Amino acid sequence: MLIQYILILGVVLLLVLFLRHHGTSRTAAWVKVGFVLFVVFSVFAVLRPDTVSVLAQFLGVGRGTDLLIYVIAVGFAFTSINTYLRFKELEGRYAQLARAIALRDSRVPEHTAAAGRECGSDDG
Amino acid sequence: MSYSDTWLVVPVYNEAEVLGEVVSEALQTFPNIVCVDDGSRDDSARIALNSGAHLVRHPVNLGQGAALQTGVEYARSRPGANYFVTFDSDGQHQVADVERMIDKLRADEADIIVGTRFHGDTSHIPWTKRLLLRTIVALSPQLRTLQLSDAHNGLRAFNRTVGEQFTITHNGMGHASEIIAMVRRYGWRVTESPVTIAYTEYSMAKGQSLLNGVNILFESLLRTSFRR
Repeated sequence: MLIQYILILGVVLLLVLFLRHHGTSRTAAWVKVGFVLFVVFSVFAVLRPDTVSVLAQFLGVGRGTDLLIYVIAVGFAFTSINTYLRFKELEGRYAQLARAIALRDSRVPEHTAAAGRECGSDDG
Repeated sequence: MSYSDTWLVVPVYNEAEVLGEVVSEALQTFPNIVCVDDGSRDDSARIALNSGAHLVRHPVNLGQGAALQTGVEYARSRPGANYFVTFDSDGQHQVADVERMIDKLRADEADIIVGTRFHGDTSHIPWTKRLLLRTIVALSPQLRTLQLSDAHNGLRAFNRTVGEQFTITHNGMGHASEIIAMVRRYGWRVTESPVTIAYTEYSMAKGQSLLNGVNILFESLLRTSFRR
């Protein structure tokens, strides 16, 4: 059925998109385009359920509602991946920040500090 | 032999109970130790400093991988640092094993030496742990190519070249696989050295649970499949 190919292709494309081009402004733009398309489709589906059903039958899905479920499922997967990657990136920055603070406030043990002041070096 | 050119990097998270003893014992052989307190809620930081170790302190808890990275960055900025060792704070590693690893590095046998539990008799290792570690190795093509038997051993020693390039971005427990990935990327010469792990009641209670192995597996699989 046509819908199977479309769904599989959709999922694969999303994966590739995010794993390769994450964080660029181009990806961000595509996310917005995707979102707008989704909104338009949703409104259309509410207003003209019959047309959606025709579209669904053409694609090999039973009813318009089923088609909508499929679209939402793909959209959800897409959002999950996006959120996951975003968290990872944020985690990385957070770590860098904490590391900078840790290194700035590092402390040497008393005896080394004293030896360092006297000889100007702490290794023998 | 003097080890004044060697730095022990010890990630610490709520280890007040044993940390003092571990640091004091290691200091008898290795004069340079940096404890990275990963936002402990107990007295670990003060104990580390009082036992004579250098102290860097994460203001929040980040995870062991992040702590290692911070420690290595601190150590490599210190004058005269040529060799680096990652050493667990719960007392499961032996100083004698580290000495042996550093001697191998001095002989320029490798750039990085990873400790392995799987040389000789392994009956002291709990079977669940053995099974988990074996599974990780079996599932990782990288480990098989490099002929490493125990990537998740916390004891590792490496030279300045590796120390300079060392970059762990995974904050949590996935850093072991990340180090292996770095070995491949930078072409470091890697070898193993047999080490003894003291499975005390304390380290068993604190150590990685079997369930955490699922996390590690997931992270390493993700990393192998989709390189970003």
